[in-house]
Amino acid sequence: MKNCRFSTRLVVLLLTSVALLGSCKKTPDGPPAVGTVSFAIENMAGTKAVALDGTAYTTAGGETFTVSTLRYYISNIKLLKNDGSSYAAPSSYFLIDVAKPSSANFTLGNVPVGDYTGASFVIGVDSTATKADPLQLTDALNPANNMYWVWSTGHIFMKLEGTVTSTTPNKALTCHVGGYRAPYSAIVTATPPFNGTTLQVRADHAPQLRYSADILKLFDGPTKFTLINFPTTMMPSAASVQVANNYAAGMFAVKNIQAN
Amino acid sequence: MLLRTLLLALRRPLAHWRLATVVVLGGAVAGSTNCRQVAGPELAVPGTTQPANFPAMVYGLAQNLPDAATFELGRALFYDARLSSDGTISCGSCHQSFAAFAHPGQALSPGVGSQRGTRNAPALQNLRWRRGFMADGGVLGLELQALAPLTDAHEMHLPLADALAKLNADPAYRRRFAAIYGPGPIGTPQFLRALAQFTAALTSANSRYDKYVRHEPGGTLAAPELRGRALFQAKCSGCHATDLFTDESFRNNGLDRTFARDSGRAHITARPTDRGRFKVPSLRNVARTAPYMHDGRLQTLAAVLAHYDHGVQPSPTLDPLLRPTGGRLGIPLTALEQADLLAFLNTLTDTDFLTDARLAAPKQTE
Repeated sequence: MKNCRFSTRLVVLLLTSVALLGSCKKTPDGPPAVGTVSFAIENMAGTKAVALDGTAYTTAGGETFTVSTLRYYISNIKLLKNDGSSYAAPSSYFLIDVAKPSSANFTLGNVPVGDYTGASFVIGVDSTATKADPLQLTDALNPANNMYWVWSTGHIFMKLEGTVTSTTPNKALTCHVGGYRAPYSAIVTATPPFNGTTLQVRADHAPQLRYSADILKLFDGPTKFTLINFPTTMMPSAASVQVANNYAAGMFAVKNIQAN
Repeated sequence: MLLRTLLLALRRPLAHWRLATVVVLGGAVAGSTNCRQVAGPELAVPGTTQPANFPAMVYGLAQNLPDAATFELGRALFYDARLSSDGTISCGSCHQSFAAFAHPGQALSPGVGSQRGTRNAPALQNLRWRRGFMADGGVLGLELQALAPLTDAHEMHLPLADALAKLNADPAYRRRFAAIYGPGPIGTPQFLRALAQFTAALTSANSRYDKYVRHEPGGTLAAPELRGRALFQAKCSGCHATDLFTDESFRNNGLDRTFARDSGRAHITARPTDRGRFKVPSLRNVARTAPYMHDGRLQTLAAVLAHYDHGVQPSPTLDPLLRPTGGRLGIPLTALEQADLLAFLNTLTDTDFLTDARLAAPKQTE
């Protein structure tokens, strides 16, 4: 029944769109101009690219660790203009997975042309999407992506797993951050500065935003963690909020903006 | 909601297929009842009627319209050990039909690799009437619930994506899912909804007690059972309420003074006031679901009653009903009262449910 309602709505929407497009063609201005913006993310641990091959990485405190899983969500991307206005990309949910290199590149379409001076995004998933009927969640949000807690319910926003190798014996590194309920909401937003560069969206060229994402910042931000004492965060908790605030503060940096 | 979801829903019109199936089956029933008076597919699915002495269903029939093919598919999934990481553990391994889908004799059931978790496998019955699942209420819906044991490292330990891959690699499952949901790969909703048709069907509403309250034939209770019922209403129904025998609340019943091993409801809410609180379990078929308590620590019903009489431990979150003003902790029960309560609890055994062949493991050949 739900689908019937959906399809009726969609048909109405499509008809309306067709009507609007038709009428637009008659006006001299034409349809509102849109372009695309592509995103590229380089997952780093300090100066080294993150690989799942046993490469050891060194924290600011000199501890070492390897990575077996690194996956996280980027959602609710917003492109910001100098005048305070912004464009919020609808339904933008992307699951970055180091095991799937193609996931580090994604594209937003239908972005209104203009000069953007910043971009913000949620590292994780908003509460509306994560509270939705899990059987209706598809694509990046599908519980089958193994980024979903059945207990307590909702998406795991950030999953880092590996081994701390600077201790004897070695210790498992398990960091699953999620949760949307107060007081342990881990929904955080990053707004890495463009540093004066402008992202020029035009109908005829597709600029690219390239970010570096440094996982060392999970341990090194407003809250300093040592790996030997790093909490095994598997549930919404005070520690998981601290880790989220750390990665919101410093994990992402704009590497360059290509005009293309 | 999300455009992607909407588009996918359009591409895979699940409800339309379901509707079509029901219409086709309905037509078949109408045709066959005219000439042969056989039971229709609806009747072949257990647990599709509302017992007169139960409250309204939470997971109503319309939410996942029962039909024989989907129920049988859910049953096959429930008993399929391939849905575990090493192919040894099915849902039915720890939830056995003759024990109201509890695990007799197992305080903590072994999962894959003989791993054990921290909680006793609960009875599965009357799940249509449940709001939260698990002893801590952490899982919020019947369809989603199956993911907890499926993916838990101490239970079946199979990621959902791997489960779907196994199902999609099996031509027989592909055929059965396609017949119900239409062509295309078996996805999260199809898998979980098919399984929920089986778990939703596990309705126990035909004990001698039920017949007694519904004034049906066979519904007679003997004097000790009636005394036990009166005692139960006076002393136990504050938590084990309604004919579901639970008020679905979370309470600390005084098993421990501290909760380092398992904080119960607080595991989900992180509230100190929820420490040591666990879901009040139903008492239906309770004579068949030993051992008892969230961790299976008590072996007999006599031990449970003895706990309430003189074993209740103090702690800040101990339930107020176990803290009478001026009295000692717990629920004082004389030996005769305990015997009468046991007699009453035995009237909650529903042999029809425990022996329903439709709910047992399917024969290997289909």
